[in-house]
Amino acid sequence: MIRALIIIAGVSLAAWIVGSQLPARSYEVRVLCLILLAASMAQSWNIIGGLANQISLGHGAFFGIGAYASTILQLSYGLSPWLGALAGMAAAMLAALLLSLPTMRLKGPYFALATLAFAEACRVVANALPMTGGPQGVSVPFLGDSWAMLQFRAPGTYLPVFIGLFALTSLVFALLANGRIGYQLRALRENEDAAEVAGVATLRTKLIGSLASAALTALCGTLFAQFTFFIDPDSVFSVSAISIRMALIAIVGGVGTLIGPILGALAIVPLEEVLSATLSQYIGGIAPFTFGLVLIAIVLLRPRGLASLPGLRLAEGGRP
Amino acid sequence: MSQLLQAVIDGLLIGGVYGVISVGLSLVFGVLGIVNFAQAEFLMIGMYVAWFAWAWLGLDPILASVLSFAVGFLLGAAVQVTLVQRVMRAPHVAQIFLTVGLLAVLENGALMLFGSTFRSVQTPYQASALKLGPLFVSVPYLLAFCAAVLVSVGLWWLLARTWLGRAIRATAQNEMAARAFGINTGRIYAVALGIGTGLTAFGGAIILPYATASPAVGTQYVVLMFTVVVLGGLGSVMGALLGGLAVGIIQALSGFVLPIQLQNLAIFVVFIALLAFRPEGLIGKARS
Amino acid sequence: MSPRVCVRGVTVRFGGLIAVNDVGFEAAAGEIIGLIGPNGAGKTTLFSTLVGLVRPAAGSISLDGARIEGRKPHVIARAGMTKTFQNTALFPGMSLLDNVMTAAVVREDLKSARRTAEACLERVGLRKAALANVADLTFPQKALAELARALAVKPRVLLLDEVMAALTPAEMDEVMATMRSLRDEDGMTLLVVEHHMRAIMRLCERILVLNFGRLIADGPPSCVSADPDVIRAYLGQDHAHHA
Repeated sequence: MIRALIIIAGVSLAAWIVGSQLPARSYEVRVLCLILLAASMAQSWNIIGGLANQISLGHGAFFGIGAYASTILQLSYGLSPWLGALAGMAAAMLAALLLSLPTMRLKGPYFALATLAFAEACRVVANALPMTGGPQGVSVPFLGDSWAMLQFRAPGTYLPVFIGLFALTSLVFALLANGRIGYQLRALRENEDAAEVAGVATLRTKLIGSLASAALTALCGTLFAQFTFFIDPDSVFSVSAISIRMALIAIVGGVGTLIGPILGALAIVPLEEVLSATLSQYIGGIAPFTFGLVLIAIVLLRPRGLASLPGLRLAEGGRP
Repeated sequence: MSQLLQAVIDGLLIGGVYGVISVGLSLVFGVLGIVNFAQAEFLMIGMYVAWFAWAWLGLDPILASVLSFAVGFLLGAAVQVTLVQRVMRAPHVAQIFLTVGLLAVLENGALMLFGSTFRSVQTPYQASALKLGPLFVSVPYLLAFCAAVLVSVGLWWLLARTWLGRAIRATAQNEMAARAFGINTGRIYAVALGIGTGLTAFGGAIILPYATASPAVGTQYVVLMFTVVVLGGLGSVMGALLGGLAVGIIQALSGFVLPIQLQNLAIFVVFIALLAFRPEGLIGKARS
Repeated sequence: MSPRVCVRGVTVRFGGLIAVNDVGFEAAAGEIIGLIGPNGAGKTTLFSTLVGLVRPAAGSISLDGARIEGRKPHVIARAGMTKTFQNTALFPGMSLLDNVMTAAVVREDLKSARRTAEACLERVGLRKAALANVADLTFPQKALAELARALAVKPRVLLLDEVMAALTPAEMDEVMATMRSLRDEDGMTLLVVEHHMRAIMRLCERILVLNFGRLIADGPPSCVSADPDVIRAYLGQDHAHHA
């Protein structure tokens, strides 16, 4: 646990030092924020996807719920996104509970398929509902720089927010991974029957993991909406751009480890930015194409992710 | 009443095609034990093959479906030999992400090669329909349905009556025993995946007269295809064909209850409910 | 006072097959009972049913007077009955200590769970291997690790499914001494499935014999080994020379 705290503090501090050297309106500081967001999203996924190996391909549902909840509450009632984020987290936990009832016993590909269908269902519903603005999407109205409304003109001002998000998601992951829940999640991951016979309430344990994971993902969604000022159903509920990407980053870095999502985000986001900045206008689809290749290569060559590279062994987290 | 009948007819015709598109997915699971998330991308590939055959050679998509099958077969067999083979004994996570990665590569590969333009074909029968009293039978639907039935019968014949079919079924049941009987199971796996992806590509070709090809078209079919095969029992060939009909009808009938934007919602709900309550399927027997 | 374990009319079906057929017996606190029978007689299925992994089609099971049939395995484990797995079912991605701790963290905080786990490992003689990955253990060590993890549940009734299968005679003596101490010091009730006839006969004061899912004998070793049904069903086969 101490090692986990050192890693979280170290990465947060490094992000702060690097960020404070960059101009607040620069592209680089924006990328830094996106790296922290991506790491936070993957870390949220990692709670249930990594510790319990319940491979969700539908976390976009919770991300979208978080993004829409705060935005709609702000548009309709002028509610601060700080409160909107809490509402989004509560709504995502409710959604996770609803999804868990029928899917909790499913394993492997069946669970993956059910979650994928759930996110797709959310996307279809969001496209059809009047209050989401439908396929045209909705914009967060800009009222000037404000901490109360959590919106700023310059990306650099968001840096402490995203560092906080990163620290929070990583801390929750580390607390769960190193705590009593973590033992039980890993045990049921390895052998559900043996875990039950040893006294682990497997369904309840998975439910706790799912709720925590969904709530943190929704928080990421709210902050994403505040950062980009615009959301639409096809992007925030997207299977490939959100759900699979969250899993991809965790897998590339090392699934089930604290350091995995950090390494994954550091590898994937800059690659994404370079590809879309340089090549995308000539060859559409090059970034996701490359990720597909990366995913295949990781599965075949390094199934335990970047965290298993020699020299990074010390970083194998998730164990006290 | 006639509206309802019309919906059932449309649903059955479309559903027959769903059956053929999805049966490959079921076959792949039944034989290899792999859930192929990239399967729907072969539908997209089949559509493009048929489109180019139409644009360059003037071939009707129904005829070009043979080409689509061939390309789908070769690609699928190649994917088995180079990629899937290596994760057959790996944990689920590896299998899921290998095929999810393949999905991204194929979809975006198509985007890079063909651009995001929507492509459709013009056929003489495009807008024609047969009139049966108050009911209409759309000719493109009917042609696709007939092609689907023909291929389903062919697949049944292959699996039930030929040496290859027996070898495939033997491998599905017990790989070790099949090997002991001198079956080259490595080759059978490649052939089975090839037939599976070939059938899905074939399905892409026969729907082209009434559907539009684009790189992202596969993702629209992912959940639908899985609903069909889970409804029929993952691994069951007959189940998938019947499941296709059922999904076609569900989709057509849900149009009466749900607004058009929510049409696919019924499929998603049926799918999640199925997984939760009867993952072994309603029709066929799942492979243990 | 109700017996510690009371099984009545338990029947388990898998499809058309009857794996356990109308089995009934009682076990008192501090008994060591052997459960024997030819392969496929239903011993492991009966164990799985007792701990809740398999739901019986009929019959009742009580633990200290409370009915537990049909309850979830973790509920039964927390109520005081657990088992080891025949071919071992450890958690491969975790260290031996973590494996054993998993059973203890269910009730205790991490610090005391660690002490419990270490004590359990000490008791089966695996204290030194605590930090090894379970994948690196030998088969006999894995069987002992199973035992340690089951002990960390702090059961009153422990079902042992062939923990001695791969042990040397000397190691078997040690494990049997451990089993006796579990009975004598902890008042535990043990049900033991084992193929080593001689070990069973020495260890147990009472033996149950299953054949084709039915209980065909229940009594002290001397009576059971003289029972003609048992000899025909079981001892008549390859184990006759042990008797």
